[in-house]
Amino acid sequence: MKTPTTALARAQEAAEDIFFGQVVLIYARWAVVFAGVVMILTAGDTRQLVMELVPIVLLMALNFFLHGRYFMERPANRRLIVAAGVIDLVLLSAIVATWPTGAGVTSPFFVFLYPVVFAFALVFQPAYAAAFGALAAALYGVVCFMGTAYSANPAADTKTVVMRLVTLLAMAGLGTLYWRKQRDRRRAAAAA
Amino acid sequence: MIVAARWVLVVAAMLFALWLPADVPQLRIQAFLILLLAMGNFFLHAQVLRRKPAADWVVYAASAADLAAITALMLVQGGFRSDLYVFYFPAVLAYSVAFSSEKTAAYTIVAVAAYALIATLTAPTDGAVLTVAVRCLMVVAVAVCGNAYRRMEHRRARGSAAAGAAAEA
Repeated sequence: MKTPTTALARAQEAAEDIFFGQVVLIYARWAVVFAGVVMILTAGDTRQLVMELVPIVLLMALNFFLHGRYFMERPANRRLIVAAGVIDLVLLSAIVATWPTGAGVTSPFFVFLYPVVFAFALVFQPAYAAAFGALAAALYGVVCFMGTAYSANPAADTKTVVMRLVTLLAMAGLGTLYWRKQRDRRRAAAAA
Repeated sequence: MIVAARWVLVVAAMLFALWLPADVPQLRIQAFLILLLAMGNFFLHAQVLRRKPAADWVVYAASAADLAAITALMLVQGGFRSDLYVFYFPAVLAYSVAFSSEKTAAYTIVAVAAYALIATLTAPTDGAVLTVAVRCLMVVAVAVCGNAYRRMEHRRARGSAAAGAAAEA
């Protein structure tokens, strides 16, 4: 059974994880925004450009807000960061689902999920990281398997999607592994 | 960390090589490279289990071999059209949290340059080059996030140690 002191210390440790680690999430989101600016160069007409621009502008606005708070030494709390993470996943899934030049399994922009899922796993406890990784994989799976038509070779497409899901979940798992190693190292140092 | 990431790479690559296998010459190269990585990783894992970490140069060479194997497999499968580039992500993740910033930057630059060169030369259209750029940016993003977190954890540990020493004094 946890003693109040241990529970308090662990709560403080989790709060410090979020306080110190959230900058990694901000970096990951800026990388996605920057890559989004690059992909806008592929837009062929006005409608396409508008569709491509909207999610990128939303992600940029969200990151301005979070980075601004971080600069002002008023970092976001757990609830706000989790909400921002879910917004990231929804917007990135929307990009994959609706991309005019290739949606679902043919969209090349699923790669945006990798740094976001990894950064989240570095900052949050394993339960949160697992839930976030599973949500990212589920959204991507739904977008690929149910939302859009496959190409002429459905078996190869299924293999491609599963490969992407496995590597995406591996990012969450490896991020969590590193998080646990760091936590154990800190606790060992504190106990010494 | 690197050992765990390499097991992910080995197991997943072997499963996907056997699922809808390619023609025999290509499959032979895939199996050879994957088994080489598995043997090397078994050696490194054994060192970890015996609490005798491998020499630094062995770890650096093994990570370089990971990147070389992924690049070779991707090249064998036709460059741009190969889906194996997703294996760069766990490989880059592993060394970004284990290596110094300089080494992480060097490994990432080499990996991204090799991938960009091969994928650009084999890209079917000019527009596909932008897709290559986006993939490369995301690989770099994983390296930056991993290494930034590593540096932040080091600062945090130094801060805790300094606070502990001050309290003791």
